Formats: sequence, C-alpha cells, structure tokens
Amino acid sequence: MIDKNYAHPEALVTTHWVAEHLSDSRVRLVESNEDYLLYDTGHIQGAVHIDWRADLQDQTIRDYVSPKQFADLCARHGISNETTVVFYGDKSNWWACYALWTFRLFGHEKVKIMDGGRDKWVEENRHLTRAVPHFVKGHYTPAADRCDAEIRAFYDQTLAHSRDGLPLIDVRSPGEFRGEITHMPEYPQEGVLRGGHVPGAASVPWKMAVNEDGTFKSAADLHSIYEEEAGLQPGQNVIAYCRIGERSSHTWFVLTYLLGYKNVRNYDGSWTEWGNRVGAPIERG
Amino acid sequence: MDYPEKLAQIVSLFEALAPAEKRESLISYATAAAQNAPRDGETFALEDVRKDEECTDTVGVFLKISTCRACEFRITLGPQVQTLTKAMTAILCKGLAGCTPEEVLEVPADFVPKIVGADLVRQRSQTVYYILTRMKTVAKVWLNRERAGR
Repeated sequence: MIDKNYAHPEALVTTHWVAEHLSDSRVRLVESNEDYLLYDTGHIQGAVHIDWRADLQDQTIRDYVSPKQFADLCARHGISNETTVVFYGDKSNWWACYALWTFRLFGHEKVKIMDGGRDKWVEENRHLTRAVPHFVKGHYTPAADRCDAEIRAFYDQTLAHSRDGLPLIDVRSPGEFRGEITHMPEYPQEGVLRGGHVPGAASVPWKMAVNEDGTFKSAADLHSIYEEEAGLQPGQNVIAYCRIGERSSHTWFVLTYLLGYKNVRNYDGSWTEWGNRVGAPIERG
Repeated sequence: MDYPEKLAQIVSLFEALAPAEKRESLISYATAAAQNAPRDGETFALEDVRKDEECTDTVGVFLKISTCRACEFRITLGPQVQTLTKAMTAILCKGLAGCTPEEVLEVPADFVPKIVGADLVRQRSQTVYYILTRMKTVAKVWLNRERAGR
C-alpha cells in the first residue's frame, strides 16, 4: 500500500506490492490500455486483459454492458465478487481508472490501482510475459442494477448541476476547455461539432494529479490543486468530465479515493455528448 | 481493385488466419517495425518527419525511388507510437515495396479490415489508416515534384 496521506491508501498499490502478490489467488491483475495490442506484446504475469470498448461497453448503443454480461466477463477471468482486482495500464492509468470506475458501476468494491501503471513496471525492468493466463471460471453473482446513480452523471444531471452553480471539473487539456480544439492534442478529431466547456466548469487537466513517472501526487499536493487552486471543498457534490469519460475517471479516482470526496460522479457522456447536443449551453475561453 | 502483389500476399495470409493468429501476426510485424528505419548511408528522394495531432508520437516517412520508379519506404517511429501503427508500418513497407508512386496512391484502404479484422478497425479507427495516409502523402508530393520538373 501507499500512504502519502491519502484518504484511502488501500486503493493504491506499488509495483513492489504487485510483484509480491503475483501468486495471490485472492488478487486478480487486470491490464487495460489505450493501445489495443500492448497486452499481447507482454504483460505482468497472471494479468488478464480487459478492453474498455470490446469488454466493458455495449457493442450497439452507447452504454455499458449489462450486469449479467459483466458477471460473465468476470467469471471468464476467474474473478469472483470477493476478488481484489488490481488495475494497471498505459497512459498513466487512464484506462485502468476507467475500468476500475466501470467495475464500481457494477458494485465491485474491492478495487485498486497500481501506482505508475504499466510504464513504471517496465521502467523498473520488471518481468513481462506473453503467456496468457487461464483461470478456473469464477462464480460472479451479478448486481441487480448498475450503480449509475452513485458515481455516474448523465447529461440532464450535469446540466442541472451547471445551472445550480455546483462544482464541475473539466479535466481536458486547456485548449479543449477554451474551445480552441475539439479533441485531445495528439488525437484525431472524432466528431464533436462544438468546442468549449460546460458553463461554470473549472479547468483542472487530469495530468495535474500525476508526477513525471505517472505516479499520483501526494495528498497535500492534490489538496492544493483541487481545493486551493480549483476551489473545491471536501464533501461537495462534484461532477468530472472530459471527452469520452476516461480521463475524468482518472480524476474521479483521485477525488474519491485519494482525497476522500464522497459524492463524485463521472459524466462519461462528456464532451462528445455535450458538444454535439442541440441547444446545450457552452462557454468558451 | 487488385492490391499490389506483395500486399495481396500479406492480405491473403491474414485472411486465412483465426483472430488469435491475426493478433499474433500483428505482434510479429510490430516487433519487426524498427527494421524499416533508414539504414546507414541511404539517401532518399523525399523525407517527411513530423508529429501529427492524430498520432501519439513522431513518424518519419522516407522514400527511395529507383530509376524505374520503384518505391521503397523507410519509416521511423517514436517510442509512444501504438503497437497497431507499428504493425501497419512493417506490413506496408513490405507490401508496397517496388510499387510505383501511382500504384501507392491507388492502393485502396479496404485491405485494412482484412488484416486487422473489422472489430479492431471499429475500435481503433484512428490508428489503423495513419501510416498508409502518410505514405500516400509522400508519394503524391514526389509525383507533384516530378510533374513540376518536366
């Protein structure tokens, strides 16, 4: 575990901790990346691959899989309701946080992030394998419903939040926030018709929360960034958003687990919904 | 339209593979991508090295053209380039070797789903076409220069 005075230090583990738990049957490692083939080039021993689009999202409508489909996915990877799932991946754990957030949507509480993600593991010259593990099928009882109401925000709720002057955190790059670009730097335009941000949102790019090596900053630094600079207050009802919900799940993890905010939701429709929505209010600059 | 012969052979091979084997082959090609970098002493008719917004790192495309107008591409990839882009680099350097610039421009992009599978194209559409686009751009510039020099 890592304790930089985080509210929930148990939610973050080091590469060393992971290396010591490779054979722990109560723990399942899940690699989740942006680079679709990266897992196949080598991964941590015993890690399974869960892809944010192919595995966690419905393949027809823009939403997540059903509780039954989620339970089947977990069972296939030998994950039961009691398994501690440790997520890691590329891009400073963007997709690992997204996968963790999605697991929470389905009520899976025993979740952790490997601090620094895949890059830190590789940087430390730790072993990677191409052997894909096969586990005895797990027993996973699906949740009755997804926990959408607790940790997920939809358009109408975000609009009401904005109109009520409640805190919104836009975690995209400054250029996206100002409306100068409609996609991440280094990524293609993917079909957003308007640029800008949700009225009243504060700009706190996700990257502010991590160090150069992709590990999370200390709680003191994070309090300074989100509270002193962005004006959040502990206990506030916060909605975070980005473009499709992956970067904001990183910030959701920071606010929820590292700073201990109890009422944070991720608006996963994010800017690809808001910026295309007819009549949605937009601020620029 | 038919694909250039070497590319057609690669496409045919991939089409015969099961999804897991396709992934394995893509990894093999990705691993071999670095071998397509310029070699010591090589000179090029055109060099196009840049960092585009649609790619996660710098990509350099280098074009050699023989007196009979046969193209040979060399490509450099920054360390952050994704695995699929690396695989497409190796596939295209091999598959388009010996084509004329006109043939490079006419290569239809519909071979991509046959190689990587329709699902992967849908899931990572931004990644799979990038290298082909960059190669065609270089071929087009070379042709424009050739026409201007006549």
